[in-house]
Amino acid sequence: MSINRTTFTARRHAVVLFTCIVASACVDVANAGSAETFAVSDGAASLMGRYCVRCHGEQKQKGKMRLDTLASMDAEARIDLLNRMQEAIHFEDMPPEDEKQPTAAERAQLEQWVDGVLTRAGGSKLDDKLRRPDYGNFVDHDKLFSGQYADLKPFTYDRRWLISEYIFNEKFNRILNEKPSLTIDGKRQFVSGLHTKRVMLTNPFLLPTDSGVRYYANETLNGGHLLTMITNAKNAAECMAADLAHRDKRYLPAVTAIMELEDKQRDTLAKRRNFLEHHIQRVLEDVFKDQNAALLPEFVRVDVPEPIPTDGTVKKAPFHAANPGNEETEIIFRSMRRYDAPGQSNADLIAKCEREWFYFGHDARKIQARITFLNNYMEEWRANIKQYNLENRYKVVEYRPLDDAEMQAVTAALRENRKKGDRYNAIIDKCMARWEEAFERERVAAGPPGSDQVAALVGQLFDQILERAPSTEEAEKYAALARTYFDSLDRIHAIEKLIQTLVLKSEFVYRYEFGQGKTDAYGRRMMSPRDASYAIAYALTDDSPDAELAKAAAEGRLSTREDYEREVRRMLARRDLYYVIDESVHNPNDIANFTNMPIRELRFFREFFGYPNLLSIFKDNKRFGADYDNARRRLVTETDRLVEYILEKDKDVFGQLLTTDKFYVFHSGDNEAMQASSDRIRKIYDYFKDKDWQHFELEDLAKHKDFIGEMKMRGIDVARLKKDRRYNPLNAFKTQMESFTLRLDKGQTAAAPYNSFPAHGMANAASRLGGRLQSPEVAKFFNVDMAHWDYPTVQPAPMEHRKGMLTDPAWLIAFAHNTETDPIRRGKWIREKLLAGTIPDVPITVDAVVPEDPHKTLRQRLDAKVSDEYCWKCHKKMNPLGLTFEMYDDFGRFRTDERLEYPENLVKKHPDKGPPHEDLRDEYKTLPVNAKGYLDGTGDPKLDGEVTDALDLIDRLSKSDRVRQSIIRYAFRYFMGRNETLSDSKTLIDADQAYLKSGGSFDEVIVSLLTSDSFIYRKSIKEYAHAE
Amino acid sequence: MPSRRTFLKTSALGAGALALTPSFDSLLGAQSGGDAPRRFVFIRKSNGVRPNEVALPTFSDKDKELDKNKQPLEVDLENHDLPAWLQPLHAHKQHMTILQGLSCMMSENGHWSYSSVLGAFKSGRNSLSGIKRATIDFELAKLFPSPFGHVELSLTGNYSSFRTGIVSGYSAPAAHQRNYCYADPQTAYNELFKSVTNPDAVDSDNAMLAFLQNEETFKADVLEGYEKLKLSNHIESIESIRARNKKLTKMADAIAKHLPTIDQVHADGGPNASTPEKQKAMTDILVAALITGLTNVVTYTIDELSTPIRGLPGNESDHISIHELGHNGGYSGVSADTIREHIRVGHIQQVATIVERLKQQPEGDGTMFDNTMVMYFPENGETHHSRGTEAPFVILAGKNCKLDLGGRYIRLPNHGTEGHKTIGNWYTTLLNAHGNPIEHYGDLDLEMSRLKLDQEGAIKRFLA
Repeated sequence: MSINRTTFTARRHAVVLFTCIVASACVDVANAGSAETFAVSDGAASLMGRYCVRCHGEQKQKGKMRLDTLASMDAEARIDLLNRMQEAIHFEDMPPEDEKQPTAAERAQLEQWVDGVLTRAGGSKLDDKLRRPDYGNFVDHDKLFSGQYADLKPFTYDRRWLISEYIFNEKFNRILNEKPSLTIDGKRQFVSGLHTKRVMLTNPFLLPTDSGVRYYANETLNGGHLLTMITNAKNAAECMAADLAHRDKRYLPAVTAIMELEDKQRDTLAKRRNFLEHHIQRVLEDVFKDQNAALLPEFVRVDVPEPIPTDGTVKKAPFHAANPGNEETEIIFRSMRRYDAPGQSNADLIAKCEREWFYFGHDARKIQARITFLNNYMEEWRANIKQYNLENRYKVVEYRPLDDAEMQAVTAALRENRKKGDRYNAIIDKCMARWEEAFERERVAAGPPGSDQVAALVGQLFDQILERAPSTEEAEKYAALARTYFDSLDRIHAIEKLIQTLVLKSEFVYRYEFGQGKTDAYGRRMMSPRDASYAIAYALTDDSPDAELAKAAAEGRLSTREDYEREVRRMLARRDLYYVIDESVHNPNDIANFTNMPIRELRFFREFFGYPNLLSIFKDNKRFGADYDNARRRLVTETDRLVEYILEKDKDVFGQLLTTDKFYVFHSGDNEAMQASSDRIRKIYDYFKDKDWQHFELEDLAKHKDFIGEMKMRGIDVARLKKDRRYNPLNAFKTQMESFTLRLDKGQTAAAPYNSFPAHGMANAASRLGGRLQSPEVAKFFNVDMAHWDYPTVQPAPMEHRKGMLTDPAWLIAFAHNTETDPIRRGKWIREKLLAGTIPDVPITVDAVVPEDPHKTLRQRLDAKVSDEYCWKCHKKMNPLGLTFEMYDDFGRFRTDERLEYPENLVKKHPDKGPPHEDLRDEYKTLPVNAKGYLDGTGDPKLDGEVTDALDLIDRLSKSDRVRQSIIRYAFRYFMGRNETLSDSKTLIDADQAYLKSGGSFDEVIVSLLTSDSFIYRKSIKEYAHAE
Repeated sequence: MPSRRTFLKTSALGAGALALTPSFDSLLGAQSGGDAPRRFVFIRKSNGVRPNEVALPTFSDKDKELDKNKQPLEVDLENHDLPAWLQPLHAHKQHMTILQGLSCMMSENGHWSYSSVLGAFKSGRNSLSGIKRATIDFELAKLFPSPFGHVELSLTGNYSSFRTGIVSGYSAPAAHQRNYCYADPQTAYNELFKSVTNPDAVDSDNAMLAFLQNEETFKADVLEGYEKLKLSNHIESIESIRARNKKLTKMADAIAKHLPTIDQVHADGGPNASTPEKQKAMTDILVAALITGLTNVVTYTIDELSTPIRGLPGNESDHISIHELGHNGGYSGVSADTIREHIRVGHIQQVATIVERLKQQPEGDGTMFDNTMVMYFPENGETHHSRGTEAPFVILAGKNCKLDLGGRYIRLPNHGTEGHKTIGNWYTTLLNAHGNPIEHYGDLDLEMSRLKLDQEGAIKRFLA
């Protein structure tokens, strides 16, 4: 390359100028954070002068970087600049490709200088960045799989790994004895994946929402966690000590023992209160006999408004809106039952009730509200009593005296505390206060719990919360702590405080993965069996080790690679554990989002592809032409089911995920049930289609009531074939028949079994949780014309214009904007996830807005925006890949023409609401779609090159070794919780080989990774620190 | 105003973007500068506020027509009467703004908005995963830290009884996180003023934290490298919470001085307290929390559809469902519209009390109200079954308010037209005015997007 004279002169000038500036600074290289002592070493100055300053000096400041003023800038700015330099050198982003490049030694020399300066200043961000998931691909792919580094001995540093949001849920479910269950395929099953309902907890361990691998062992506990966990610990402690331990004596026997006296007293008090609240009237009569009436307060009636006129002049709130709630209606019902008598007027009855409430001391406002309610709604209320059989629900509480000793205590207290004019609640409250005082004295006299009890408490709480026994030292320390709590708080609060302390230990929220035992020749130790059991359990599930795994760890059977393999294979084969895949998708009435394969196997692909992110993409229903909000959750769960289907087959998994033409579309996953539902519609349609049903009257329905009854046609009660207010069986019949006809009268092979109109109750297909299968609009994402749908009852079934996950509408929406596609993010995903490539961070100065133009497609607008050299440098890595997906719109619908959705291009407006089969989208002018693109980076010249569209691109990607290896790299990160390094080369190669040799089994990849040295062996963190 | 980049570098928001966790911890940060903090009170009410309910009765015919037709409009409140239900604020007209024309279609509408109206996002009903970002009140709380950071109160229920205790709230400290709130006056009182009312509990908390700090420090001492950070950050957090507790203990005298009196009727959750009694007690607590400096931001759900209305003037003995009012159901011969108005009057009396109490409290060379902004607004838009096309705000702001809108009735261009503003624009305005230079807070309105209408950024006319 020739250097023109101007360029050469400018570069020389820059070098001379830079050297002068450096020479004028202090000589000692010291702290980058101190302006007074900072200087650049001669070697670094020379290298910068040679390779950097021409573009980042006095004359030019490309990227707003200027290196010739390093010595004089303020400390914060210098550290910031040096960090940017460090990255540019390390990732070889600089000098630009078309500039003169330093030798490897020169690059190393400059990097070493920057590293040194930043390390001394404590300001290097590169190490942190290299640990981040988005920097995983900066380790050279070819080197990793070349075999050149396969002799290095893999390991992971000893570490604490913060629990995930999922582990948080399961931990609290476990310690709070919460066992959520669902009816799946008609059978009750315990499930993981639902958060506890026992107490309100806030989950502070949320994972980022990016696609790829979300859960890394990089994060540290901070104040946000702690503040949240303090509240969580309080809530959980109260539930554990005051509720669970009280209800179940096996839960924490030590708590039960320590609380024995309190519990006994509590029960006694509860029994006495309950007895008095039900029977005080009678007991007072028994105790005070003739004097009782004189001791009663003087009855004063409350003021209530006049009843609402019943002549229709005033609109009255309906009964349900005036109903004061179950607690109040029970009181009203019980009083009414006591005083109801034949022939008695409502007014007399109400007066008697009022008198009782007055004597009981009920709040005057409540009495007013009850009487107002009875005055205005007596008729409806009596009907309600019958309808809901309140007689049976609120059984009469028969008078049964307490035992003699208790009756004596009660009688004595009543005699002692009742004063003339006292209402019943005041008498009860005074008695309770006296008893509580006496019990308190008894508790004080009993003293604090004994040391055995405290020791047992510490042991059981360690076991329940931390799942281990305390060491001797811990047992002593925590017993001492507990005693300080018992000294200053009452027993229950002292126990709660001890629980809080354990929940707030960092151990509760960190997973421990530490080496133990002998160090091998390479400085590595195997994980301790206990840590290994958790590492394996959390690799595949969100739960603590299952019983067999815990037993293996306890019995020393987790100390060899074979031990690991045995347990991993056993757990991979389990299908008796059910998991809700995503609590935000799951809906017991509709969406059955569960799996019984190890949840983290399925979750890897969920996160890798990132399709659940569509849930945060809200869209304009008008542009969808149907109800998008409801359909999107069905879309996610059906994509989950597809991934599960492919993983269950476990053959050519990556290939199938990338190229399958089969999908689930409005399907529960139960082929037989879907067939039966579809057949039912066919049967109804066939029965009526030639019977002039369009002109049926109610009497015609009666002629067919046996058939209608047998078919359980929706909204038709064959015992009630007449119109009654909103109930209209004829309308329900015709609406169904119109809908069924639409689904079958064009020779369709089967009818999609969706409901013809919204209503409560079951009809047509059910989800596997027994709820209604809803949102058939999901078919619209796949361009299905619902009026002409040959519904495939057996699924997954082939869908036109689709090839694998990247053409699944869920993925396409997740990588789209709210109102248009996002070729850049789609391309970025492919570059990073499938081609193991890297894309630099978006410069903060970039204006990322694509200009609007009503006469151009998005591609045309985008091309114009990024065509300059500065933008294209990065965008060439993304756009040629992502633009091939322009054959799908931002709802994932296949298209050949792009709608130019600008007001001025509106061709025809359509209604906003309509039945599911109608396309409600407005019509706009269009332009043809250009989905051509370019593939590079597979490393295979047969695959790289121009592509015609996304399907062509996917086809080539699926054949690429690099794509397969890239997925393996992500799997490594997912199961190890960290980025790979060159020393993990053997692990990656082994996993890749395991996949190939098994015919594409992902289970084998997992086994390979979880039995690799990278997983099993640990090195002390000290080595890392000293390596810095 | 700091640049966006500078702000991201120096604020907890920037750190939070990289972190796994919520940025709750930023609420513990020290107050920057010596200026008096800004205070914000968000009062959410249910059942919508119908735009015509806040229209001025003394509009000229021309203005009335403009207002009715949703045309832009601005008049000086000084020259007008307020609607009857807003009369309790008559004395504060110069500090008052009636802001019409904001839309909230990008949040949840219909009966409930849950967390979404303060976050300007669709949440897919009340799902946790649908909480897309920290709500505006938390973003403002980050700018003006305080010992409690943020306080949320609510008076909600299940139609027949009120919720009590500490329950899930509506604000969000971060994405996918739901705040907790105090659901009855007694609980709020006990928790907020614990350093005075229950020092033993504070002491035992401190003893526990001291124990934990010692234990974790011992473990951290043997660690190195980035693993050390995993414990040292935790230890620093414990330390900062202990420091907060110490600060609270030091504030005990000031807190004691302003401790509100809570009536016995609120004991045990206040099962017999009427709705107005509960509202009054909550107001006392809210004001005390601000005056004592425990917090600078309060979000208060004064009612939602399932809040029981009991003891309402004019319907003292009725058990009223707000939902039923939304369906035009009257009680005891009183029409739904009248009851709705009575409910609003009750609300506005509380707003007036807050303003008056803060105006009585000296601060700097003025009063605490000078640095306070109170916003009363519907959680779900313009009516009972709202679409979110309008969300009228009644705003009271003191003389140091950084926005130029006081003393006016302002109707912004209507939804779907050029120049229309959403709650996203409004929240962006609040943030920009108070030091967060975010370009746009909240999601965009999809209908505005379809119509290709500009909808990003602050409402510039309000930025003084």
